Amino acid sequence: MSTVIETIQLRKKYGDYEAVKGLNLSVPKGSVCAFLGQNGAGKSSTIKMLLGMIHPTSGSGTIFGHRIDRESESLLIRQKVAYVAEDKRLYDYMSIEQIIRFTRSFFPRWNASLENSLLERFELPPARKVRQLSKGMRTKLALLLGFCRGCELLILDEPTEGLDPVAIEEVLQIVVSLASEGTTVFFSSHQIAEVEQVADRVLMIDRGKLVLDSTLDQVKEGYRHIEAVFPEPVEERDFRVAGIEKVRTNGRTVFLLASHNVDTIVEHVRMLRAGSIDVLPTSLKEVFLEKVTARSEHASL
Amino acid sequence: MLLYKAWIETRVRFFAGLVATLIVCSYYLYAHASLVLMWSRVLEDPKWQQLGWMRLAIHDYNYYLWHYLYDNYLQQIWCLFVALFAFGGLIREKQDGTALFSLGLPISRSRWLYTRLLVAFLEGCALSVFSIFVIAVGATMFHQTYSLSQLFAHTVLMVGVGFFAAALGNVFYTFFPSNYISLILILAVIGAPYLYIQNYVQHMRANGRATWLAYIDFGHAMAGPWHLTWSTVPWMTIIVMAILTGVLLATAAIYGDSIDY
Repeated sequence: MSTVIETIQLRKKYGDYEAVKGLNLSVPKGSVCAFLGQNGAGKSSTIKMLLGMIHPTSGSGTIFGHRIDRESESLLIRQKVAYVAEDKRLYDYMSIEQIIRFTRSFFPRWNASLENSLLERFELPPARKVRQLSKGMRTKLALLLGFCRGCELLILDEPTEGLDPVAIEEVLQIVVSLASEGTTVFFSSHQIAEVEQVADRVLMIDRGKLVLDSTLDQVKEGYRHIEAVFPEPVEERDFRVAGIEKVRTNGRTVFLLASHNVDTIVEHVRMLRAGSIDVLPTSLKEVFLEKVTARSEHASL
Repeated sequence: MLLYKAWIETRVRFFAGLVATLIVCSYYLYAHASLVLMWSRVLEDPKWQQLGWMRLAIHDYNYYLWHYLYDNYLQQIWCLFVALFAFGGLIREKQDGTALFSLGLPISRSRWLYTRLLVAFLEGCALSVFSIFVIAVGATMFHQTYSLSQLFAHTVLMVGVGFFAAALGNVFYTFFPSNYISLILILAVIGAPYLYIQNYVQHMRANGRATWLAYIDFGHAMAGPWHLTWSTVPWMTIIVMAILTGVLLATAAIYGDSIDY
């Protein structure tokens, strides 16, 4: 499968603060890739670097083979990419009709039938000025302006922020429908449930570093919670086995998060004379929390 | 569509410019009779005899129009508004929060910049054509005759050289993205030397002496001599101003490309 987005050791520093620390991303063509991370993890900075809005401090990246750090190539990238920014601010002096006409003029493959359908579904009155729209309506308009571009890659930064549950469901359906037609989707989100609903690949970033790059199926199948109870208290250092991502002890009980190698880990725990061993499936949310808190705890030590 | 967007963003300033131009031109068309009367009385006093320009202004309406409008107030108003038209662009959008939407479109940063400057130029042209219209109507109302070809020639010179003000306005706004700060800086940086250089060079010229400051006498380059012919056009100053304008535009483009949004 060919790669649409690729970055190599991408870095971004704002003064002394390093927002993105040597990121190596790879997004395959046709995938719906979720980009997860806490606030300030570096998601928006990464997306802005991909689209030439901010300049990388070092490292390189390509979208459709075009280099992200060259203005002339960035222009070619933006012909093929539809981007919806996090804050969804639009020209508030234009009406909905005007801003659609304005945006449409730059995209020869504009999907007019989708535009009409979304105007109806999102209940956007064409004559109304953008400044008169609620936050939710503005988000819907920004998404319409992104979805209808007929682009090969859709980059969405927090696409459902500010939407009600009905609108969120509609947006996710549209994302799935565009993906089924061959559009690659790369979206950042805090909403794990949304990610589980539409994504087939997950990239997790924490403090500017990639902490997970996997398919959603691999996460669901590979990651396991292992809970073991021992006759005597044990120490964390007893669990240095490949595949163990996180160890938490509570007296004689040990909680392990395993990313792979589960059978070997269970065997190791058994050899340590565990009284009971439970292997439980884990959700993406738990993986996310474990990955992020693990690093947070490590950083605070 | 980019031109349309830039027009929507600057149209309030443009209409304000039209009103200011209307006021300035109308006032000096209206005040002609009373000023002529005043100068006639002044010239009767032997100690003011050396003010030859008054005599010229009394007898030649073209000179009067040039002196008050193209060499003074219309020129200043025009420069101010053209600089204001050039304020804004992506830098302003960064503050308004719409820059990410704009930069997500397949348009280069330089194209955004040059579109904004093109609209400032076209609005400046419209403003100057409007001033010709006001002068033409006003002169007819006050039964004065004037040379339309000289009005056009002065307008072309004012717009051509005066584009420097738009480039300067854009550069100031790029570095200091605030309407008020940029305006104050424009007035301080261009206004004070402009008045000083103009007066100094006029004084030197009247005494038959040359000075290198004549090459950056922006005001004189915009106005030219009162009777414009191919041979009286201040070509050297125009070339210097064109180079300075190019430097300013390149600075705005290079700095604009380096900004993180």
